[in-house]
Amino acid sequence: MWKEIGDRERGILRPKSFTTRIKSNRIRTLQISNHKDIVSPHRASINSLQVDLTEGRYLLSGAADASAAVYDVQRATDYEGGGLIAKHKCLFVVDKQHEHGHKYAISSAIWYPVDTGLFITGSHDHHINVWDTNTTQVVMNFKMPGKVYRTAMSSLATSHMLIAAGTEDVQVRLCDIASGAFSHTLSGHRDGVMTVEWSTSSEWVLVTGGCDGAIRFWDIRRAGCFLVLDQSHSQLGRRPTIPEHSSTNKALTSKSLSSGQNLNAKLRAQQRKLANGNGTKQSPVGRMPAKGTLRQRLHPGMLSSLDRATAHYGAVTGLKATEDGMYLLSAGSDSRLRLWDVESGCNTLVNFETVRLQAGKPIQLATSQDSALVFVPCMTAVKAFDVWSGNTSQTFRGHYEYVNSCWFSSQEQELYTGGNDKQILVWSPSRLIADEVDEGPAQDRDNWSD
Amino acid sequence: MGDVSDRIGRPTDNGQIGIIDPDCRLIGLHLYDGLFKVIPFDNKGQLKEAFNIRLEELQVLDIKFLYGCSKPTIVVLYQDNKDARHVKTYEVALKDKDFVEGPWSQNNLDNGANLLIPVPPPLCGVIIIGEETIVYCSANAFKAIPIRPSITRAYGRVDADGSRYLLGDHTGLLHLLVITHEKERVTGLKIELLGETSIASTISYLDNAFVYIGSSYGDSQLVKLNLQPDAKGSYVEVLERYVNLGPIVDFCVVDLERQGQGQVVTCSGAYKDGSLRIVRNGIGINEQASVELQGIKGMWSLRSSTDDPFDTFLVVSFISETRILAMNIEDELEETEIEGFCSQVQTLFCHDAVFNQLVQVTSSSVRLVNSTSRELRNEWNARPGYSINVATANATQVLLATGGGHLVYLEIGDGVLTEVKLAQLEYEISCLDINPIGENSNYSQLAAVGMWTDISVRIFSLPDLNLITKEPLGGEIIPRSVLLCVFEGISYLLCALGDGHLLNFLLNTSTGELADRKKVSLGTQPITLRTFSSKNTTHVFAASDRPTVIYSSNKKLLYSNVNLKEVSHMCPFNSAAFPDSLAIAKEGELTIGTIDDIQKLHIRSIPLGEHVRRICHQEQSRTFAICSLKLNQSSTEDSETHYIRLLDDQTFEFISTYQLDTFEYACSILSCSFSDDSNVYYCAGTAYVLPEENEPTKGRILVFIVEDGKLQLIAEKETKGSVYSLNAFNGKLLAGINQKIQLYKWMLREDGTRELQSECGHHGHILALYVQTRGDFIVVGDLMKSISLLIYKHEEGAIEERARDYNANWMSAVEILDDDIYLGAENNFNLFTVRKNSEGATDEERGRLEVAGEYHLGEFVNRFRHGSLVMRLPDSDVGQIPTVIFGTVNGVIGVIASLPHEQYLFLEKLQSNLRKVIKGVGGLSHEQWRSFNNEKKVVDARNFLDGDLIESFLDLNRSKMDEVSKAMNVTVEELCKRVEELTRLH
Repeated sequence: MWKEIGDRERGILRPKSFTTRIKSNRIRTLQISNHKDIVSPHRASINSLQVDLTEGRYLLSGAADASAAVYDVQRATDYEGGGLIAKHKCLFVVDKQHEHGHKYAISSAIWYPVDTGLFITGSHDHHINVWDTNTTQVVMNFKMPGKVYRTAMSSLATSHMLIAAGTEDVQVRLCDIASGAFSHTLSGHRDGVMTVEWSTSSEWVLVTGGCDGAIRFWDIRRAGCFLVLDQSHSQLGRRPTIPEHSSTNKALTSKSLSSGQNLNAKLRAQQRKLANGNGTKQSPVGRMPAKGTLRQRLHPGMLSSLDRATAHYGAVTGLKATEDGMYLLSAGSDSRLRLWDVESGCNTLVNFETVRLQAGKPIQLATSQDSALVFVPCMTAVKAFDVWSGNTSQTFRGHYEYVNSCWFSSQEQELYTGGNDKQILVWSPSRLIADEVDEGPAQDRDNWSD
Repeated sequence: MGDVSDRIGRPTDNGQIGIIDPDCRLIGLHLYDGLFKVIPFDNKGQLKEAFNIRLEELQVLDIKFLYGCSKPTIVVLYQDNKDARHVKTYEVALKDKDFVEGPWSQNNLDNGANLLIPVPPPLCGVIIIGEETIVYCSANAFKAIPIRPSITRAYGRVDADGSRYLLGDHTGLLHLLVITHEKERVTGLKIELLGETSIASTISYLDNAFVYIGSSYGDSQLVKLNLQPDAKGSYVEVLERYVNLGPIVDFCVVDLERQGQGQVVTCSGAYKDGSLRIVRNGIGINEQASVELQGIKGMWSLRSSTDDPFDTFLVVSFISETRILAMNIEDELEETEIEGFCSQVQTLFCHDAVFNQLVQVTSSSVRLVNSTSRELRNEWNARPGYSINVATANATQVLLATGGGHLVYLEIGDGVLTEVKLAQLEYEISCLDINPIGENSNYSQLAAVGMWTDISVRIFSLPDLNLITKEPLGGEIIPRSVLLCVFEGISYLLCALGDGHLLNFLLNTSTGELADRKKVSLGTQPITLRTFSSKNTTHVFAASDRPTVIYSSNKKLLYSNVNLKEVSHMCPFNSAAFPDSLAIAKEGELTIGTIDDIQKLHIRSIPLGEHVRRICHQEQSRTFAICSLKLNQSSTEDSETHYIRLLDDQTFEFISTYQLDTFEYACSILSCSFSDDSNVYYCAGTAYVLPEENEPTKGRILVFIVEDGKLQLIAEKETKGSVYSLNAFNGKLLAGINQKIQLYKWMLREDGTRELQSECGHHGHILALYVQTRGDFIVVGDLMKSISLLIYKHEEGAIEERARDYNANWMSAVEILDDDIYLGAENNFNLFTVRKNSEGATDEERGRLEVAGEYHLGEFVNRFRHGSLVMRLPDSDVGQIPTVIFGTVNGVIGVIASLPHEQYLFLEKLQSNLRKVIKGVGGLSHEQWRSFNNEKKVVDARNFLDGDLIESFLDLNRSKMDEVSKAMNVTVEELCKRVEELTRLH
């Protein structure tokens, strides 16, 4: 660390590379925290975790006992173990006792992305509640046609305040906080929708994953969905080569061939689609592949009824868009994790070493900030996979029962996980607690001499 | 103008790449991982709409355009998941907005390959520079040569045909790379060591073997490549150096001459180009000629005729002779004679007089000489036994003092000297002046006289020598030089004392009254005052051990150092060959030179040849202590040795060195004292950086005392981590050790020796990198968790957190501005301030440091220090404004001043008006540039002003000034005055 700081000081290491390097070093040492403890007030499995997007300070959890709670993850409520273990008790809980509380399990609890003044819970009691954080009162309520599985709001949105909701119903509904009404009903899925995720590059694009195994992309300004991911639609092959391609340095590359030619190409998406120019023109239609297949040339609105492509065999249980907006990760009840190239809709065929994933309920995935790692609840463990190779980089074992959700705080490089064992576990970069103990007050130290 | 930023994609870690196709068909930009942005040109050179192409290679190291391709073709050097490096070529298909697989590729290159050099036609292809090999590669050729392991940082093409290149490596060695070829067929590569330069960041081959080496780790250089090696075998001859302070890793503000003007001593440069730089605000003298002359006692310049615009003679007086130098026809200074002058004795004073005459005063007589014939015309002799002690003159008057307290006043006529008046004073006279400051520039109505014994300065009227004013100076130091002068229409009497102090008075020319006495210290030796003019403004030169120029700005007297060591005498010498010059007598030398503009920074370099990381000054021992490291290069492995070194603060020589253990790095240094101990110590914090450890788990705090100019280790204390910072705190030592703040007290053991004992600590940081203290408050700048405020509780002997900024700023420096406001610099080149909120209603509010100011500096700040580079005069308003100096990686030294609220509001209004009038480079918006900007947010700058922008008001033309003045509803004069006030802060 001192070396990196020194290199940053003299301008050899760019500040940006510095933070990336330190963060990835820290993430590599993630282990169950020996100094931070979140005291879960929940009496049933924890289904949803999210730290607020503005300050990175307040963790919101939603649990199957119809309760939701908020914790300050930066400031401990009290300390134990000689001040070394910080206890984070919840700041407040809303549960069944609350006059407007949910009656059944909360499946999804999210923050309003703009500030921490509001949060949103979705429940199996068919309701979505919008809460005022300061008064812990319900300020708005949406009645959904079935159990709510997942809710999402766009962190990029500047011109809308829409909650996307995936429910038992085949239709995805967008609830408008500004008006208190449903603004959109998106039809296309043939079964309930377990997971919804807004694009990280455009505020208008929503991705939904259904129990029908389909992942659909919607531009909410237009009718119908414009892209359905197809697991068999994979690499489009390499870029066309020049016919008069000279046999380059054959003799000299013999060594290289043996060691596997361009591993990178194998592992990464092989698409030849252009990305769009400026961020201002993020219309998904404009981002359609220029040389796309016949299917994609159809009127986008028609796709929803015609396209029966599936992304997974079985239900899509989790979705996560990478922060750079270029990739999408999906988890399915087929115990597969897939990495999709968003531009082309291609399955990149990265083989993630998942063994088994929970099938019956939505799971919440998380990525590290630079999208190098994806954290996936794999039954009772959480695994971190290298996004580009699919290799397991770390396995986090600590929960006694199935893990449902994880959230990665890139600000603190901490991972929060919640499971059926009612616990919220904190995984943090290792910290040498031992030295802090023995550097205690002077009197209990021996007379150390030079 | 357009914006090339994208919503999607992650900014590249390896830095942005911008390249232009050699046939000018497009611009290529690599700004985000996985995307290559293309901006096409049309044939008129207009930019067309940009588009992105997906680049499969994630870890791109370099991209260049290839020469001689029918379609624009890029070559990409990249690293794959297995850390192997390859190159690949792509053609850019502009119509399809996509890549087409290029003509060739090359896998598994040198693991250190990091630079591509495209070779121009006729050879074409690309050179790939690695750490151990250099490869030439094209569609039909592949040539490789091994090189001595080195990291090439920069290249420069020598020939237009691209057959020779200069390569600069990380140790500053310059190599020549030659592509041997038969016609267009490349047959091989050759590399030759030329010599050593600064560590190059850029190399530009100019012409005729002249090369510019741009360096960000040392001074940039202009070098000449010789055909024959010199004695050391080097072909490189350094012709000129261009000062570069960067990277400023640390610095301290010291007042080495103890006269109220801070100097900044920076740890600059990296590796072998490491140096200390002493940056001082002062006036430089550009030496034009100099001659060795010992024992100069006085100097005067004389004209050959009264209306000659230039000076001809330079009279130089010695203890027992007077020599006259004059400009000859070849504009050379040669010794000459003025027959009428007495040259066998010391001259006390000389001056031009009316009617083409010259006056010389010696201890025995006053001589009046014709300036053209150089003959004596008249002589006034002092009475025997009463030799002349001091004298002064102007064009028509002579005033002299002889022993016995006689003051004699003479007037000069055409060929006659008339004794007009003699006054008997009660004491001996030490100095006098009759510089005309009234309407008549040849005649003074007042005389200023400094006295022995009663230590006073007196004003007499002329010609009757009536005493008008008597001003006792107080103290026991006699006045050595008095001067009547006018600055900006205000008359002053300056009076310099024998101990280097200067008094100034406002002088009422009609009544002769003195008012508004002010005293400043300029040096420690007697001062001689002389007026001179530069750029048509009169200034006063105070010659002493700390030569100073006194000038006036906005009707205030200001003092600025002259960057000369010691000046005994000075006189203006405005000759035809050396216009506007000064003749300066210093340390056995007579120098003629011109004077710089006032208020210029002066930089002195002390090359150390090793990398300096920390510095601190100890007043008591008059030493600096530095933490430095030396790179030991051997054929097998590079290792570093770290030292604590002691330097003399005058000579900057190493006087003592303490070498640290293997793997032990010095991280912090501090000069401090402890309670119950009168000694002053140097404390150094170290870390054992072991290759297998991610974060140091062991370090030391070493306590040294300086004895007989040697560092003596008094105590050491092992720590469980790296000691990132050290601070003196309530007579104790406060250390930032990894994630912990630890307080140590200095305990006396039974055997009389002392040791550090830990008292209490506070943890909860990621890394407590930067720590500042004030009273019982501790401000910590964390690696990634912004600023937190801790308080030390004496009763409980504990450190507790009081408040914290919850933003995720990655800090690079912190400083305490005042009790409530703390300043921080962060990783994205921003500055911000946070405010303690002790009046908050809830615990939550009190526990939060509220962000008060935000600003994008655009520089990576490594260190803040309180202090100032300008001399602080207690009587000025500017002297009351606290300032903080910062130093950055790029070598910038800047000043942050805490302005009073009223002034801030005024200047903020001025700034917003100036933004409308002054257009930024390339039409970029100033407001946008100064917006606080990090990964999470972009917000307008607030509570910070851009001083450079505001000061550029003074450079505007009148019409633009009027425009601003109108918008502000303040007169131009008032605006100028307020802005000039601001300029005096630095």
